[in-house]
Amino acid sequence: MLPFFLYFAAGVITGFHVYTLLALTVYGAPFNSLELVSLLGSVGLLIAAFIGLFKPYAAARIAFIACLMTWSFYGPAIANVVRTKFDKHSAVSANPNNRGTQPFALVSR
Amino acid sequence: MILAYVSLAVLAIATVYSGIVSFRKTEGATASWIFPKAVGWPTRIVVGAFSLALLMSLGLWLGWTGQHSSLRSSRFLIPEGYTGWIRVEFEVQGAPPLSTEGGEYVLRIPADGILRTSSPEQYGWARDHYYYYSAKGVHPIPDSGETPLIWGRINGEASGAAGKRKYEELFVGTAQQFKNQAKE
Repeated sequence: MLPFFLYFAAGVITGFHVYTLLALTVYGAPFNSLELVSLLGSVGLLIAAFIGLFKPYAAARIAFIACLMTWSFYGPAIANVVRTKFDKHSAVSANPNNRGTQPFALVSR
Repeated sequence: MILAYVSLAVLAIATVYSGIVSFRKTEGATASWIFPKAVGWPTRIVVGAFSLALLMSLGLWLGWTGQHSSLRSSRFLIPEGYTGWIRVEFEVQGAPPLSTEGGEYVLRIPADGILRTSSPEQYGWARDHYYYYSAKGVHPIPDSGETPLIWGRINGEASGAAGKRKYEELFVGTAQQFKNQAKE
């Protein structure tokens, strides 16, 4: 049951997080295709969770690929946050109109 | 913000676990709680049904909150001709609360550019509006398009003698003025 709960929790939590960021496009935030890839990865994790009840080994492979898809958003996001910490001024002027519309913003107002 | 950290933590654990299971040799391996084999049918049915119910509930909740979001926008009233940084400090004891008008919070910025209010900071997403005000009336300030006059909006928390204080800042001026002040 461990793989099921792990993949399921990862899929739901990352999916919800990326969904909230994707929803910001309604308010004019630029669309970031990596968010969509990441959301597909979260769906893949949910599928892997259910497959894990039948075939744990196959589910692990699917989950691993899904995790890599999800990292396609979180990886650049972490790099952006770290860069912002070291160089706050240049991060603000990169997209000065609204911090919340940065493509890789992990934090939102 | 905590959701981002939780997402990263869970994703990292899931990646490591699925990677280990994917690349470990399965021949002769014994099942354990950390590397279990397939579960029985009764468990599959119960877990599957509960999980689907949970997912459907989450989907319905997201749809409902999307339609019934009640976050208020903010209306920034800025003195006519003001150029520079504006700062709004929240949860300041003794300061007046923010008033509301037409379903929006009204933030009337004084001439020094610093507004203190006892109201808490609003979190979420809403379309805010900006206006210049003078004795003659108010007129909108463009915050997007070809010549926006609103820049670098940030929020944060500062610690001082009066304790922690949440604030929000934004710059009013042309793109060139904003770039010039950033160099200083």
